[in-house]
Amino acid sequence: MSNTSMSNTAISNNTLTVVDREGATHDLEWEPDQSMMEALRDNDLPVLASCGGTASCATCHVFLEQEVFDTLEERSEDELELLVEAKGYRECGSRLSCQVGFSRDLNGATVTLAPEE
Amino acid sequence: MAIQDPVVIVGSGHSGVAVAAGLRTRGWGGGILLIDAENELPYERPPLSKELLKDGAPDESAVLRKEKFYADKGIGRLAGVTAESIDRNGRTVLLSNGTRQAYHRLVIATGTRARPLTVPGAGLAGVRSLRTRGDALELKQLLVPGARVAIIGAGYIGLEVAAAAAAKGCEVTVLEFQDRVMSRVTSAPVSRHFEQLHERHGVRFVFGAAVTSIDGGRRAERVTLADGTVLPADVVLAGIGVIPNQELAAGAGIDCRDGILVDGDGRTSDPAVYASGDVTRFTSPIDGASQRLECIQNALAQADCVAAHIAGQVAAEPEIPWFWTVQHGVRLQTAGVRHPEDQVIVRGEPSGGKFSVVYLRDGRLAAVDTIANLSDFRTAKRLIGHGAWIDPLLAADPGIPLAEAISGTPNHSDADLTAARS
Ligand SMILES: Cc1cc2nc3c(=O)[nH]c(=O)nc-3n(C[C@H](O)[C@H](O)[C@H](O)COP(=O)(O)OP(=O)(O)OC[C@H]3O[C@@H](n4cnc5c(N)ncnc54)[C@H](O)[C@@H]3O)c2cc1C
Ligand code: FES
Repeated sequence: MSNTSMSNTAISNNTLTVVDREGATHDLEWEPDQSMMEALRDNDLPVLASCGGTASCATCHVFLEQEVFDTLEERSEDELELLVEAKGYRECGSRLSCQVGFSRDLNGATVTLAPEE
Repeated sequence: MAIQDPVVIVGSGHSGVAVAAGLRTRGWGGGILLIDAENELPYERPPLSKELLKDGAPDESAVLRKEKFYADKGIGRLAGVTAESIDRNGRTVLLSNGTRQAYHRLVIATGTRARPLTVPGAGLAGVRSLRTRGDALELKQLLVPGARVAIIGAGYIGLEVAAAAAAKGCEVTVLEFQDRVMSRVTSAPVSRHFEQLHERHGVRFVFGAAVTSIDGGRRAERVTLADGTVLPADVVLAGIGVIPNQELAAGAGIDCRDGILVDGDGRTSDPAVYASGDVTRFTSPIDGASQRLECIQNALAQADCVAAHIAGQVAAEPEIPWFWTVQHGVRLQTAGVRHPEDQVIVRGEPSGGKFSVVYLRDGRLAAVDTIANLSDFRTAKRLIGHGAWIDPLLAADPGIPLAEAISGTPNHSDADLTAARS
């Protein structure tokens, strides 16, 4: 992943590899004006996102790889509270995808959908 | 047999859009047409009484799906067009633009409208209700520092607006007929907690208040109550409940009773016509009660039932009904549907600002309110889904995780217990 190309190229999409709950992988485009949840939902992955992205429902729970997880800002108190009770919670890895904003650093990341409750 | 006509969805709110998206996710290859009276990209409603009203918040609020989504998915949209009537024999809908639209299946997802205030003076300038994005933007203009704001009705919307108005420096009075806030949906301890929270932020309450008139020249200037009290008010917001937009169905002879009646698949009394979201009334699969739910969870769950049934598939297991509200930055989340007769158990100390109230019905967890306590919300939602039996003493101790408060009752097996705890 290049970090020097930003200055002279128009903002382009990221790509994400998504592992669904059956273990199948999907490659999708993540547009700069979308949260990660929106990218997943709008590409037909089964995230219900019933709170519209306000960290209230946890139906957008995903696992990120440790290296990717480490580049993100800390989880908010609300996000953490919802996550710790979630099925399969990972201290390093669990995120509410609605709280993950678009970032170049996440280009090419692999995202695994957490199990449904 | 090729299907010539599209699935026509009337209403592009949370439920209508979810039906359209769900049909595509489920592989529906036929046409889909979304029709909506409002002339804009379908949007999220919860922020209208929360973030959108805040000082400095942008007027653009979150949309349900980006414009491109509809194009990519081949979902047609007619915005600013109302469906006027249905010809069920011919399977067409008459639209306000004078055209007739044929349908393969019709989905009515027309939601609700604000219950209008009927007292004299309700038509004066400055008297508002809040349902649409347009309503929210107009209200936002009126909430200026020093404005005297009278809010009629202490439900979710009234209270969220009270919080936003107080934060903007308005003088806010909430007028409520009952003796506490949110009395329809929650118990006294939660009501009291939120009353105190609002009072700390300068909001005044008048309980037992029956508004008899709004007076003024062209604009609202005063609100008069049945006991003779007169309150100065530049802005009056009526948050007195909603009415289902069922006229389209009722006019076509489809069964309605304060809501369009639907079965578990979202079907109305006409097998080619479905209904979904706030406009419907249905039998609760949990307790057999006839209910109309006004929440996003239900709008999405019913949409999935409709999309699945049209596509000939099985719907996903729905979430337990749930709702959230944020007032003065404090988050209340409710799961399950409380009955007034339920046993009420307070978990934790309300004065500490973080607590829960659990509602037991015949010993089982039926509903929960969590205040700044999302982990209890999460656990309770799961336990409600399992119909878990709860030990009231254990549940009252906030030091014991809620999942550990499950009681051993003769009526359930160890396997049930294990499933509920996991
Ligand atoms: C201010 C506000 C805050 C809220 N906050 C929350 C919250 O925090 N959490 C929560 O769970 N829920 C909340 N709700 C409730 C939630 O918005 C509703 O449950 C949800 O919108 C229901 O979706 P729906 O699709 O059934 O109806 P709606 O979203 O109301 O959509 C119905 C649409 O149908 C259109 N329509 C009606 N009649 C016709 C016709 N004849 N022809 C064409 N179009 C028509 C309407 O214009 C409307 O756009 C809130 C609601 C409001 C108003
Ligand atoms: S969409 Fe609800 S928590 Fe992310």
